[in-house]
Amino acid sequence: MERRRFLRELAVGGLAAGLGTRFLAGQAGPAAGQPLLAVVEGDSPAAITKEAVAALGGMKRFVSRGDRVVIKPNIGWDRTPEMAACTNPDVVRTLVELTLEAGAKEAVVIDNSTNQARRCYVRSGIMEAAKQAGGKVLYPDENRVRKAALKGEWLKEWDVMLDVVEADKVINVPIAKHHSLSRLTMGMKNWLGACAGARNQLHQKLDYAMVDLAAFFKPALTVLDCYRILVRNGPQGGRLSDTKLTKTVLAGADPVAVDAYGATFFDMQPAELLYLRLAQERGLGTYDLQKVRLEKRNV
Amino acid sequence: MKKGTSKKYRLVRGLRVASQSVFVLVFLWLFIGARYTGEDYIGSTVQRFFHFDPLLALVTVVSARMVYAWFAFSLLTVALTLVLGRFFCGWVCPFGSVHQFSSFLAKKTGFLKPPREEKAGLASKYYILFLILAAALFGLDLAGWLDPFSFLTRSLAVAVFPALAHAMSNLSGLAYGVGWMAFGRAVSNLARNWSLNPTFTQGFGVGLLFLAAVGLNARKERFWCRYLCPTGALLGLLSRWNALKLRIDDAACVKCGLCTQHCETQARPYPNDKWRSGECVYCFTCAAICPTSAIRFPLRLSPEKAGNVSDAAIGRRRLVLSTLLGVVAVPFFRLTPAAKRASAKLIRPPGSLPEEKFLAKCVKCGQCMRACPTNGLQPALGQAGPEGVWTPVLVPRVGYCEYYCSLCTQVCPTGAIRKLTIEQKNAVKIGTAWVNRSRCIPHVLGKPCIVCEEHCPVSPKAIRLVEVETRLPSGETVVQKAPFVDVETCIGCGICENKCPVVDEPAIFVTSVGESRSARNRLLLEITGPDAPGEGQGR
Repeated sequence: MERRRFLRELAVGGLAAGLGTRFLAGQAGPAAGQPLLAVVEGDSPAAITKEAVAALGGMKRFVSRGDRVVIKPNIGWDRTPEMAACTNPDVVRTLVELTLEAGAKEAVVIDNSTNQARRCYVRSGIMEAAKQAGGKVLYPDENRVRKAALKGEWLKEWDVMLDVVEADKVINVPIAKHHSLSRLTMGMKNWLGACAGARNQLHQKLDYAMVDLAAFFKPALTVLDCYRILVRNGPQGGRLSDTKLTKTVLAGADPVAVDAYGATFFDMQPAELLYLRLAQERGLGTYDLQKVRLEKRNV
Repeated sequence: MKKGTSKKYRLVRGLRVASQSVFVLVFLWLFIGARYTGEDYIGSTVQRFFHFDPLLALVTVVSARMVYAWFAFSLLTVALTLVLGRFFCGWVCPFGSVHQFSSFLAKKTGFLKPPREEKAGLASKYYILFLILAAALFGLDLAGWLDPFSFLTRSLAVAVFPALAHAMSNLSGLAYGVGWMAFGRAVSNLARNWSLNPTFTQGFGVGLLFLAAVGLNARKERFWCRYLCPTGALLGLLSRWNALKLRIDDAACVKCGLCTQHCETQARPYPNDKWRSGECVYCFTCAAICPTSAIRFPLRLSPEKAGNVSDAAIGRRRLVLSTLLGVVAVPFFRLTPAAKRASAKLIRPPGSLPEEKFLAKCVKCGQCMRACPTNGLQPALGQAGPEGVWTPVLVPRVGYCEYYCSLCTQVCPTGAIRKLTIEQKNAVKIGTAWVNRSRCIPHVLGKPCIVCEEHCPVSPKAIRLVEVETRLPSGETVVQKAPFVDVETCIGCGICENKCPVVDEPAIFVTSVGESRSARNRLLLEITGPDAPGEGQGR
């Protein structure tokens, strides 16, 4: 029985590909136990995104041939890119391109937005950018929601979007923003956008919910858009003066390290963020930037 | 069977069906077009039909005492009706086509068997017309409830398309269930792209009325058009000098009575001198089915007054009585306290005129409710008094006013909602949010929330966070961030109420007070100057 299933999976290529990446990762990865974090600064959002992924060893480290990849930006609000409420469309475009170049079968872009989905998809510029790059843009669909056993410490189960959880690989592409409750919303908070149901009740224990969700969704890669960050009136802002141009993209396989470095753009110590401490305790990564191998580049 | 019938008039009848089909499709296309298409500003929608409606033009202009330029198109309808008669009813009106088609089905299925000659009186629609016109003189707009365009658009917006949205959602769910992913996705995307609103408080009632109006066609052919339609009545009164007059060739006529039996609108083609020019909608059924091609509609260029517009037994006394009824109705509609004191839950769409003018202009067509992207605009029942039944009201619990959206202001056929750009719209205050501290989670339970604050779309936020202490039964005191509404910057969009996690009776809610359209519903008295009390505090 076991052998038959093993053979079947081998035939589909799923397991073979999985093993392949793991071996490759071992060869190209950083020193043992040291997560690698790419920090790339530059004028072009597309170029710095490309460089950040290259600094980690290229997209092929994260995506295998034939994968169905979901790229999960923050498309939460009906706001234009310069308002820094949604992920920069050029960052999303570049990731779609890289994913497809790496041999993915499809690159799906989806987010359960707060305002009317179509408005957010259009005004953020993400729908057009993703489509131009050959990505498949899906709207959240009420009939594609299932209650999932999160098995978290606080959240035992929650409604999640099937289009996200059915993917072979998930790439998280948040934007760094101010938030009045979790203080900052970056990668781990972005998973609320992969959920459905009464998400507004998660706020009663938001940091715990964020960690439970991050442990469930397990992104292959997190790319944090810090090209233009939202420093006040988050998480949607509304004025240019709410934003700050920091022209950086962070990328890494450790979601905790990515968010930890993101906090420094807001003059905050990672340890100030409760959810990062909880996430490290849970073993999701490290917020101690001393223990992270930084790869800083300028393009 | 068809040997003796007129080929020419069968062709004309075919053209009429084609014309009706085209207008129905254009109507539906414009109707569906009233939505967020990816552009903030949309072009013509179904309101263009309304502008050709002389009843709406007359009643709106008279009751609001305001000229609305778009209604100039209705003069074209008037002019053409003077020449061609009620062709508008037979060839253009999409509601007329709905009745025509359902009557056709009723006859084909045997539900309806028209008698040799229909005796029912035709006068009721004229009484309705006079009642509406009389009320309009006193600023009461009754036209919206029975005008065919309003009736049809409202029914589609509030009942038919919402039902379709449910059906499509179920269909797509079913398709996913059996593994037809692409099909399920296509159906789901179509519903989303059409932006179909599925939820309406009055959906069931409005839907029932629509079904009743259509179902009556199983009793009498084109029941609505014959007995109820005030627009048809108005056009009928104008059908006096029609250039096309029905003529029966006496030599050919075999007096079979088919023409009168199958006349859709009881215009009684036979005998010729009894033909009612004001009831004929020029469907050309009689001319097409006449077995001996005896019926013609020759073109008379010299105006010739019809001898018999409608012998609908419109008694002069009854006409006076119905007019008086319209006048008497006015004070009854005004008994409501709504006229004296603003209603808390009467949150009007941005751009709405002051209430008195709004009621005089709104024709309850529901087009704004169709266009609303969040489904928040709902037909009122009691909030606006009897006059305001089915006028639009924002119900934040169903949907909020989307910040970068001014669609409802772009689709109003009468200007009851003024057209606004997004920038203009964002300067309009439609109400004010209030915190119910006895239900607010941080206030009463001492737990974190801030959901209303994060959704507030204005910057700087109209919902600020203040730290509040809550004493728990254990004796412990907890400090949490709790919402505080800055009433001056709050625009009343209602997203806070919509997203509040206290779902049944939200802990933050919007009422109409402070709405910019009303001086009476004012909240803060603006007193500026160096000595003004409170100036400079709390800002």
